[in-house]
Amino acid sequence: MSKTTAYIIKRLVLAILTVWVVVTVTFFVMHAVPGGPFLGEKAVTPEVLAALEAKYGLDKPLIEQYFTYLRDVFTRFDFGPSLKQRGQDVIDIIATGMKTSAKLGVIAAFSALAVGVVLGSVAALRRNRFIDKFIMVITTAFVSMPSFIMGSLLLIVFAVKLQLLPANGAAANGLILPIITLALYPTAYITRLTRSSMLDVLGQDYIRTAKAKGVSGMKIIFGHALKNSLIPVITYFGPMLAYIVTGSLVVERIFSVPGIGRAFVNSIINRDYPLIMGTTIILAALIVIMNLVSDILYKVVDPRINLE
Amino acid sequence: MKKTLALVLALCMVFALCACGKTAAPAETPAEEVAPASLAVCLASEPDTLDPALNSAVDGATMVAHLFSGLAKWSQNEEGALVIVSDLAKELVEGVVNEDGTVTYTYTLRDGAKWSDGKDVTAGDFEFAWKRAASEELAADYGYMFEIVKGYPNDLAVTAKDDKTLEVTLNNAVAYWNELLAFPTYYPVREDVVGSEAWATAPETYVCNGPYTISKWEHNSVIVLEKNANYIDADTVTMDVLEFYLSDDATAMQANFENGAWLMIDDVPTNEIANLKAKYPTEFVVAGQIGTYYVCWNVNENLLPETSTLTGVEAEAAEAEIRNAIALLYDRNYICEEIGQAGQVPASSFVAMGMTNPDGTEFYKTAGGNEDFYGYYDVSVEALEGNFASAVETLKKYYTYDEATGMFTDVPVLSYLYNTSDAHKAIGEYLQSAMASVGIEMSLVNQEWNTFLNTRKEGDYSVARNGWLADYNDPICFLDMWVSASGNNDVQYGRGEHAELAMYSIDLTPYGVDYVVENGTWAETYDVLISEIKACTDTENRYAMMHLAEDLLMSTGCIVPLYFYTDIYMIDDSIEGFFANPLGYKYFMNCTVAAAE
Repeated sequence: MSKTTAYIIKRLVLAILTVWVVVTVTFFVMHAVPGGPFLGEKAVTPEVLAALEAKYGLDKPLIEQYFTYLRDVFTRFDFGPSLKQRGQDVIDIIATGMKTSAKLGVIAAFSALAVGVVLGSVAALRRNRFIDKFIMVITTAFVSMPSFIMGSLLLIVFAVKLQLLPANGAAANGLILPIITLALYPTAYITRLTRSSMLDVLGQDYIRTAKAKGVSGMKIIFGHALKNSLIPVITYFGPMLAYIVTGSLVVERIFSVPGIGRAFVNSIINRDYPLIMGTTIILAALIVIMNLVSDILYKVVDPRINLE
Repeated sequence: MKKTLALVLALCMVFALCACGKTAAPAETPAEEVAPASLAVCLASEPDTLDPALNSAVDGATMVAHLFSGLAKWSQNEEGALVIVSDLAKELVEGVVNEDGTVTYTYTLRDGAKWSDGKDVTAGDFEFAWKRAASEELAADYGYMFEIVKGYPNDLAVTAKDDKTLEVTLNNAVAYWNELLAFPTYYPVREDVVGSEAWATAPETYVCNGPYTISKWEHNSVIVLEKNANYIDADTVTMDVLEFYLSDDATAMQANFENGAWLMIDDVPTNEIANLKAKYPTEFVVAGQIGTYYVCWNVNENLLPETSTLTGVEAEAAEAEIRNAIALLYDRNYICEEIGQAGQVPASSFVAMGMTNPDGTEFYKTAGGNEDFYGYYDVSVEALEGNFASAVETLKKYYTYDEATGMFTDVPVLSYLYNTSDAHKAIGEYLQSAMASVGIEMSLVNQEWNTFLNTRKEGDYSVARNGWLADYNDPICFLDMWVSASGNNDVQYGRGEHAELAMYSIDLTPYGVDYVVENGTWAETYDVLISEIKACTDTENRYAMMHLAEDLLMSTGCIVPLYFYTDIYMIDDSIEGFFANPLGYKYFMNCTVAAAE
């Protein structure tokens, strides 16, 4: 146990270091990209530009801006104001966006996990039968179909033609279509992953031993096979969850969902520096944490894995 | 133990995610209440701001126009024509010309004007709002809208004589002053409300004085406006609730329009235009919009072949001729009908359609001084062949022409810069092919929007896509952007090598200005001309000088108009009482929705 604790601490320190590197690289790359937050089709006067730069501290040397930013974020958790959406703080924009994206992502990810594991196990246990082939064909289609096609297809069929569900994420039941769109790819992927890993496990010696010992089929599957075949699924699930909750631009655009993905992309287009930094930090932190959690879950599922 | 740990970790995972969204209740979304008069529309994504002084976007202006009431407003009269009428001002008075040429206007406010929280709207609110909007401290994009007011930017000559009387002094008479009074930047705001910029981001702190108040604002999702009981003309407002859905995805807009969720959308996918026009002939609307889509050349770009011995003024004169000749190679009708497909009008002058002369005639129809056609070249289909031939003749003067192939062989390779978009790309490809037909090679370079703006502004390009939309109905807003120091002077007039070239002549004596220059620089001619126009108080002379300025501009060949913009939108047949102004602002307050059949 103490080994695990030491490991977790080591990984946490590494995680902070990783986020810091991401912050630093993003900060300087972002400022090196041509353009600026106050550029528009209609140029502002030099006086106005100077006033804006002074107001947001952009007139200071870059290195000074960098240290000011780090200090504000790490000591006061202050991500600063948005340069484009005047009057709004970055943290509020992120909180609003994350609220929707997280809801969408968590539901989509866990549905994908539940459905994927079941379908994958069924396919593995009924190997080469009709049901297995059927599942494999469907999942191959979903894995290879990009979400903008899937989303548009669902939109046209269910929202425009049949008018069963709204096309707009803000409406009641509006999140159903985006959740399905988001969940299809991971569901298909998890199904395939579970199937192949289950097949692998079912061929192992210890399963044969269990069978020879007369252990019941159910017990073999749930007690031995499933647990061990979930390792690759866990590896995939952690980072997938992080990606999916940090917003999918495509799905958010197609269904007008007010998530964080759109805010992130728009912040880059607008060169809204504080918002770029804020979203990057949150995104990086989530991914790092999810990776860590899935590594630890590994160990729990399979004690043979050495966390050192 | 292991199981417990697994459970705890799994819970942590879920909790970490839920924590991100813990601040708000589940987004159980918009009002389901079936109010008798409610209208759902979609103009664009979340506006950057709804502070009238800070807003510079058309969709933001539409919302602000529903939330605030200024001295004047846009209105539709009984004949359906758009007019500027007084709003909070008792009347739109004539100015009094002072001895020094400045003009003073004194407005009296109507009785009974109130803020949404019940307090009275006073002349002092206008004084505060105008001074705030113009100030360098606020640094508003549209602060320059007050440029014509004496004392701009930090000591604006506007005074509240008492609670009902507002006095403002302009540097000189301005033809479009009443229109400015209806512009969002000129709306009043209250000092105790706008202390923090965050006031305009939440319904609780948003105090306004117009037909509506904000009742709900789910960021990036929907803004709901509800009728303002304290509005001075509340009885004229027929639509009780307005829902502005926030999306900038044209496909999403189309889907929501087609399934009846949104009754008005301000954008449609470009490749669906033909289809939608056919499917919804009465609901697909093409409205006029004051703006020009054009190609701009970098004036400092060398266009002459390596063998050319021309330098300085002579080289620039030759290049102007070359640019004007290339402008004749384009078939603008093809661009409008086959690429744009949204009723755009082929343009042969820069100041857009929709701008009027003092006598009411269209400015663009009197531009260029040609008898047989409007503008600076004949863009009719019939003229195409003649234009092409004359372009080739002109180009032969400077480049080697291979008669056998009909191609020029030594034109330097050009590159066309545009911002990444299918529509701009299609136009770029057309221009490329039109030039290739005479052997001129032009590569296409696309850049992401913000980078593109930067590159164009810095003048790091040879030819670029460009467009300009008017802020108010006066040609000067198309002309003053080309003075040397202007931030919008993408052509780089009067900068770099061009600053030294003394080759332009103007004579302003016919317009009552004692100024004649033979072979002057851009700064000595165009810049002076624009400042004289701004100072001119005689309308006839002022417009004559604006035509002169456009002549000078077009003679350089650096600005190649392609078409005048139109504003396309879709609006359901069941809606009545809707109108839009030439700046693209949409007005819903007098709408009614007919019951579904």
